[in-house]
Amino acid sequence: MAKFPSDEWVKEYMDKLNSNADYQDAGSKWEGAITFVILKDDTFKDDAYIYLDLYHGKCREARFSNSLTDLPKSEFKYIGSYGNWRRLIDGEIDPIKGILTGKFKLEGAMMKIMRYTRAAKEMVNTASKVQSEF
Amino acid sequence: MWFFRSPEIIFGEDSLSFLKDLRINRCLVITDNFLLKSGLLDKLFRNLPESSKRMVIGDISPEPTFREMTGRIEEIRKFNPDYVIGFGGGSSMDTSKILFALNERPDLDVYDITPLVPLGLRKKSRLIAIPTTSGTGSECSWAAVLSEEGEKRKSELASPEILPDYAILDPDLVVSLPKEQTKNTAADALTHAIEGYVSSWNNPFSDAMSEKAIDLISSNIETVLKDPENIDARNSVHIGASMAGLSFSNSQIGLAHALGHSLGAYFKLAHGKTVALFLPNVIDFNYNVSAQKFEKLNSIVPERYRKKKFSDTLRGLFRSMGVEGSIEECGITRKEFEQNLDGLVSLASESTGCLTNPRESSTSDIRELFRNSYARLR
Repeated sequence: MAKFPSDEWVKEYMDKLNSNADYQDAGSKWEGAITFVILKDDTFKDDAYIYLDLYHGKCREARFSNSLTDLPKSEFKYIGSYGNWRRLIDGEIDPIKGILTGKFKLEGAMMKIMRYTRAAKEMVNTASKVQSEF
Repeated sequence: MWFFRSPEIIFGEDSLSFLKDLRINRCLVITDNFLLKSGLLDKLFRNLPESSKRMVIGDISPEPTFREMTGRIEEIRKFNPDYVIGFGGGSSMDTSKILFALNERPDLDVYDITPLVPLGLRKKSRLIAIPTTSGTGSECSWAAVLSEEGEKRKSELASPEILPDYAILDPDLVVSLPKEQTKNTAADALTHAIEGYVSSWNNPFSDAMSEKAIDLISSNIETVLKDPENIDARNSVHIGASMAGLSFSNSQIGLAHALGHSLGAYFKLAHGKTVALFLPNVIDFNYNVSAQKFEKLNSIVPERYRKKKFSDTLRGLFRSMGVEGSIEECGITRKEFEQNLDGLVSLASESTGCLTNPRESSTSDIRELFRNSYARLR
């Protein structure tokens, strides 16, 4: 079990992403980094950030921090409260529906990411495969 | 939490007269060259308030690019319409949605018309969609398709904020629709209803729209094709097409649309034709994950078309309508198909239809569906 979010969770997530053939297929043309922003809420006291450098279906680098300034800049940010991240990882929220219903926010070039919705879905599916402790 | 979004719908004979009740002062009409020259536009004008000032953009092509759509945007902004009317098929209505948004928000990047970005529209004007074909569902959807200049690509733009305020479904506007367009747009509507019904985002509201749409269209399309001026049958298909639009707009599309958009972009084929030719094979691909729903739909189609498998029912229905059942029948040679297959697969893989298709699909699944659809299943 890896606590979400943590260095340990991020490492396990990166390993699972890199061994997920479906993600590699769906993200085979994707180039760009994304930061998951986990906002504090009633059950989680500090904002947290997970930086992922994604390139042609592989995750080249993954880092966790409680400070955004410690991390490289990314082209996209996917932002939600800790509670909603937990529901996303548990498969209760669809990553795109999550944005449409205001539970998550996406920052970055929209048209680019809309072409990679299969990859986005596989990224969430992969997160669900990490044995996560909340 | 989810939503069911719909315009206010005015339907049935003489529904165009609803326009007289609106306080339209400055009206922008988006239409195509054919309608501009036909008597249909006069029908529209006769129903606009006499005092209203009008600006007409009448050169919308079947597959408009951003440059074509926005060539007169500065003139539109100066005209300052309080109503924007899309009058025609999908391209005119889709263009009206984009011009409506860009007139409201001159600073807007057209590619920010996605469901992920709040646009803040309706500060200046309202949007009315009046279809003159029965199939695209654009009048009831929050989607707009944009062809990319110099590229074999169509972009799927979508935002709840470009959903029309009013959709006017007047069957008088479709009685003279040519047979070719009648069958292709009806096939498109059936595809919307079926893909919306089994989409992973389906919901009770979209399901109800799909079921009734399939009932109305499959029960009346034969009559419409034999007797185009049968106003009751035309009205049923026209309403069914909009219900299908409401379904997929609120539940999204699937792989038949992903593959159809790609084929259409590469070979400049009519949208309805391309999505329908993939649909039976996509149903076979999805069957095990949505079997009960497909069986329910099979029970709705009139008995004379019904086969054991829903995909076979559709193959028969489409054949009776004269809709092409394979890529080959669309006039694409095996050589052209094979030369473009990698690009077709790549483009289809980028479609949001892959996201909401009931069964997840890999690139190789998509390639296989293309290959299986080249020649008609015997």
